Amino acid sequence: MNCKDCSEKLDRFVDRELSSTEVLELQLHLESCPDCQDHYEFEAHLKRLVRHSCDCDTPPAFREKLRQLLT
Amino acid sequence: MAESPAQTAFAEEALTHLDTLYRGALRLTRDPDQAQDLVQEAYLRALRYQHSYQQGTNMKAWLFAIMRNLFWDRFKGSRKDDVSLDDVGEFVLYEKLRDEGARPEADVLDKLAASEVVKAVETLPPLHREVVLLVDVEGFSYKDAAQALGVPIGTVMSRLHRARQQLQRSLYDYAVESGIVRGNGSQQVRQ
Repeated sequence: MNCKDCSEKLDRFVDRELSSTEVLELQLHLESCPDCQDHYEFEAHLKRLVRHSCDCDTPPAFREKLRQLLT
Repeated sequence: MAESPAQTAFAEEALTHLDTLYRGALRLTRDPDQAQDLVQEAYLRALRYQHSYQQGTNMKAWLFAIMRNLFWDRFKGSRKDDVSLDDVGEFVLYEKLRDEGARPEADVLDKLAASEVVKAVETLPPLHREVVLLVDVEGFSYKDAAQALGVPIGTVMSRLHRARQQLQRSLYDYAVESGIVRGNGSQQVRQ
């Protein structure tokens, strides 16, 4: 695997959508390529950042209202 | 509302996915009151059509599908912001920052405000926003996201790719405007 192949598969790697064979190939490349490793860590960090930033809980009063309405 | 123990059990199980539906509704409508109306309507519809839910399949995806279909029904008259992202061009934030001499993680990601990230997500066109919500925020697989959206997996992947490009461009523009990085503009992109 070269850097271009790695870059094209990085999204699916971060999303855990690669096959086990593809994961192994990509991990081998990352171990030998600091720049792609940095790129991978950046994309994984960005995905976590989006998740944490958009996280929010349902307002308790609305949760209770819905529970009473539905059950 | 529930008229039998089975219906009560169904409602209880459905309510375990409330946070996912509320988060999705909030980011789609961008309004807490509208989000609550949408979620309530979605749950009432889910109970009414619970016979169409197949036991053992992904209830969270099924519920999200009901909610987002209601969203599109309700807002189909105002889809002006459903613009295409086909022409946004390639933009890889990591490469852009590295080419400009910044340390992409330490200099930028660690300094982005959560409110700006939410803003960048909420300004994505809804068709692309909902894919980011499912895959990045809720951790859906492409397959489950495809089920929730009623589209092929390939469509999920292409919308996600374009959405991330646009999201990264928005975050880059914010980083430049707020002085986090000294950039030369997101229009000059690497091909």
